[in-house]
Amino acid sequence: MASISFRNVTKRFGDVMAVDDVSLDIHDNAFFCLFGPPLSGKSTILKLILGLERPDEGEILIDGRPVTNVSPARRNVAMVFQNLALFPHMTALQNIRFPLVERGIDPDRIEARVADVTAKLHIGHILHKPPAQLSGGERQRVAIARALVRDPVAYLMDDPISALDARLREETRVELRRIQQEMGKTLVYVTHDQEEAMSVADGMAVFEHGKVRQTGTPEELYRRPNSTYVASMLGAPAMNVVPMALAPRMQVAEAPRRADSLGVRPENLRVGAGDTAEIIEVEPLGGFTTLGLSLEGTPLRATLRGQPEFTAGERVGLTVDPGRAHFFDAGGAALAAR
Amino acid sequence: MTDMTTQQLGAAERHADTALHEGAEERRLGLWLTLPAQLLVIFIALFPILMQVYISLTDWSPLDGIPWYRAYELWIGLLNYVDLANDPRFWSALWRTCIVMAICVPVQFLLGLGLAILFVDDFPGRRVLYSTILVPMMVVPAVAGYMFFMLFQSGGPVNDILSFFAGRPVTIAWLSDPDLALFATIVSDIWQWTPLMFLILLAGMVSVPQDQQMAAILLGASWWRRFWTIVLPRMKTIIIIALAIRLIENFKVFDNFYIMTGGGPGVATETISIYIYKVTQQELIWGYVAAIALAILIVLSIVSALAIKKLRSVQ
Amino acid sequence: MTEIVMRNLGKDFGGFTALADMDLTIGSGEFVALLGPSGCGKSTTMNMIAGMLDPTHGEIRFDGRMMNGVPMAKRGVGFVFQNYAIFTHMTVRDNLAYGLRARGVAKPEIARRVGDIADLLQLTPLLDRKAARLSVNILQRLAIGRSAVVEPAIFLLDEPLSNVDAAFRAVMRSELKALQRQFRQTMVYVTHDQLEAMTMADRIAVMDHGKLLQVGTPLEVYNHPVDTFVARFIGAPGMNLLAGRVTSADTGLTVDLGAAGHCPIQAGQGGEVLFGFRPEEVHPDPKGPMEMTVTTVERIGARTILHLAAGSHAAKVVLDSETAVPDQGEAFRFSVSPGAVRLFDPQTERAL
Repeated sequence: MASISFRNVTKRFGDVMAVDDVSLDIHDNAFFCLFGPPLSGKSTILKLILGLERPDEGEILIDGRPVTNVSPARRNVAMVFQNLALFPHMTALQNIRFPLVERGIDPDRIEARVADVTAKLHIGHILHKPPAQLSGGERQRVAIARALVRDPVAYLMDDPISALDARLREETRVELRRIQQEMGKTLVYVTHDQEEAMSVADGMAVFEHGKVRQTGTPEELYRRPNSTYVASMLGAPAMNVVPMALAPRMQVAEAPRRADSLGVRPENLRVGAGDTAEIIEVEPLGGFTTLGLSLEGTPLRATLRGQPEFTAGERVGLTVDPGRAHFFDAGGAALAAR
Repeated sequence: MTDMTTQQLGAAERHADTALHEGAEERRLGLWLTLPAQLLVIFIALFPILMQVYISLTDWSPLDGIPWYRAYELWIGLLNYVDLANDPRFWSALWRTCIVMAICVPVQFLLGLGLAILFVDDFPGRRVLYSTILVPMMVVPAVAGYMFFMLFQSGGPVNDILSFFAGRPVTIAWLSDPDLALFATIVSDIWQWTPLMFLILLAGMVSVPQDQQMAAILLGASWWRRFWTIVLPRMKTIIIIALAIRLIENFKVFDNFYIMTGGGPGVATETISIYIYKVTQQELIWGYVAAIALAILIVLSIVSALAIKKLRSVQ
Repeated sequence: MTEIVMRNLGKDFGGFTALADMDLTIGSGEFVALLGPSGCGKSTTMNMIAGMLDPTHGEIRFDGRMMNGVPMAKRGVGFVFQNYAIFTHMTVRDNLAYGLRARGVAKPEIARRVGDIADLLQLTPLLDRKAARLSVNILQRLAIGRSAVVEPAIFLLDEPLSNVDAAFRAVMRSELKALQRQFRQTMVYVTHDQLEAMTMADRIAVMDHGKLLQVGTPLEVYNHPVDTFVARFIGAPGMNLLAGRVTSADTGLTVDLGAAGHCPIQAGQGGEVLFGFRPEEVHPDPKGPMEMTVTTVERIGARTILHLAAGSHAAKVVLDSETAVPDQGEAFRFSVSPGAVRLFDPQTERAL
């Protein structure tokens, strides 16, 4: 129900540039991910949207209206905290009702609104329980319900599932995606987990040192990173980036003139018969196998499907999937392939 | 839901429109509204001190019949401070207070630390014993003074117990011998305030991370080595806080001393607080008292400042 | 280099059984991961190896020597804590030297050994820095170095990567593995993350509810899980398990999956089964015998995860990002090669 825009926003804390000349457009109803390493400015962006911090320069617009001087309470943006901040002495239902009761809203309306939100979040059956009796995922949903019950124009989440264990994370992120689609509201989501970001988001911004390095859909960023930085941040194992001098060893002949380094994603590096590289380690993951390779001392990683039989010490030849080579100039910026 | 959504949205929009440029003004308004309260707080904090400074520069006394604000009629400049510097009774009270501190605080610290070590691990009866140890702290100091006054009577329980062990009647005049009187009052202070030290140090000790101690054990460290290299260094902050609290509190010691001995025999147990009380209540030279009070305030401020500085460097 | 033998090992806390009858031998120089969800008994096991807990019954032996009752300081065990338990009030050097000083090693010897381990772990430039405010990978190396310098026969690591950012975990994993190769000590690694166990361990011991369910190499537990718990727990996502019925026709045996279609299998007996297949073993096939509806499409870089549903069945499929996939709400037709099918008994949940 709301688009959020940043126009050349800068925020300093003392000498630290927390947010450095950021311009962003988050569309209405988007699941938008702010992605980057810790302290790269993601959480400050959330605080700026909430109104907990004021930009030093630039302007923030919600639905096209500047909100720089609008107090947090009047922005009507909700936040789901990382620790969820549920009240332990109340049941799930009391927790969810709380924001409405606090505003003195008519009880009939409260019930209708709570019923609507809890139905969409599939938590009708646990409303009588206090948070201590809920599982991690259920608590998460109660916290989201509490944020959404007051019908905010947008809601924000700061790394909400990093505390869950691996298996639950995989399930929760799909659940979050479903909830966002059903609730149909702008969700701004902070994470430092690339897999999570790519899984949930339909738009994302990659941060480094308070700057936005690239924005786009996860697929765009993965397929066409504009720099070695973005290339290295997305994908596990990370993209192999090697000096151009090694390109012929991987049968990459065509390259832009200013190319300084060659980037190859591990899944695009083909391993076959030959004598160019040595296998250092074999990491069988079941459905996939990761090979650690050494090409004249430069470490490379290749991901293969299934459980191919390789052993450490074996020598192999390397090729790159056609059209899947990335080229970067000396400054690390991506160059269009020729 | 939908009608509520539109209503809420409508309200939000109206708010947003009017609120657009209100923020900065709102903040300024906030400052103006809280200004009187802020001034009041500053006034309440500073007024007694400023009044002290003013009175300390005069020869004012409530008996003169002049209201305090006209004390300037009795202006004597720094004469009170000169008198103070030349007052042997002041210096001896200050010196005595320092001796009391030099004995009480280290003894309380060591006893408190020892108790904390005993209590940091669980043992049967720990909770009951723990509450018992904290009792002295909760006794009103005046009552504690009275208790020890009774204990140290020449026919009192302390002498009775000593007689039992000595096998002959012991009649030590605890409170009328100058040296023993100071000893007795110091014992009462240690009795009363060791529990506080214990409480603070135990809190500090419990907060030393358990896994660090485990790590040290697995690396083969003995109990002593762990205590010196892990527990004590990690408690530095809390130790400094505990010592600072007790030093400042101990400097102001009054109730039990006054009740046990009245500062006597002679001036044998007269601490700074007792001295000030006597000068105020008995001799009514308030200008002079104000000068003493300020001098002490300055000394205590320096002690606190040193403690805070030390704390900063530790952290 | 020490062999650890646990025999009939168990631990009760009051009425709660944290670990029941564990039999496990960890070979000398082997890297074994104890893997399971929280509360499965993995940490209890490790704490008993370290001597922090006494077993309720059973025994632990190091190279044949009985360890029950031996205090933890005397077991020669290095322990890397979840949060590393670095002495933050000391310098890096003092941390590394701690164990040697505690053992009364001579000063020149301490200096030499600390210097060696610092070189090995690339901590030399940091030796005189306070250990507070070091980055987490340096803390990890320091924690390992601090234990390694006293040359323990056994290294225990308690979820050392659980406080590490996702982005950094891969780096730390390969660093840890490289370190293990250098030290060649017996390592026991506790984790709830199957990826960590798969990528680092020589063998994985999968545990749940205080029981050891399966021990084997990463590929053994992946390819031949003994029960549905192991099947679901190993793999990302875990194995799909659909309730079905084995029927025989003239074309051979098939599993009838109701709304999801059917799938031919190589062997089995008639009756109810849980039909298991790995998400990665699915082949998109317009003529395939199985069909389910796509509920969600997750595109994660190189992989695409399809979430499927049909009737009461739910399944996940992992495909290359290059493979064309149907949209949400559309039908997905596929086949599973008979060799990749695993069948489980629906009552006992054991592999058939």
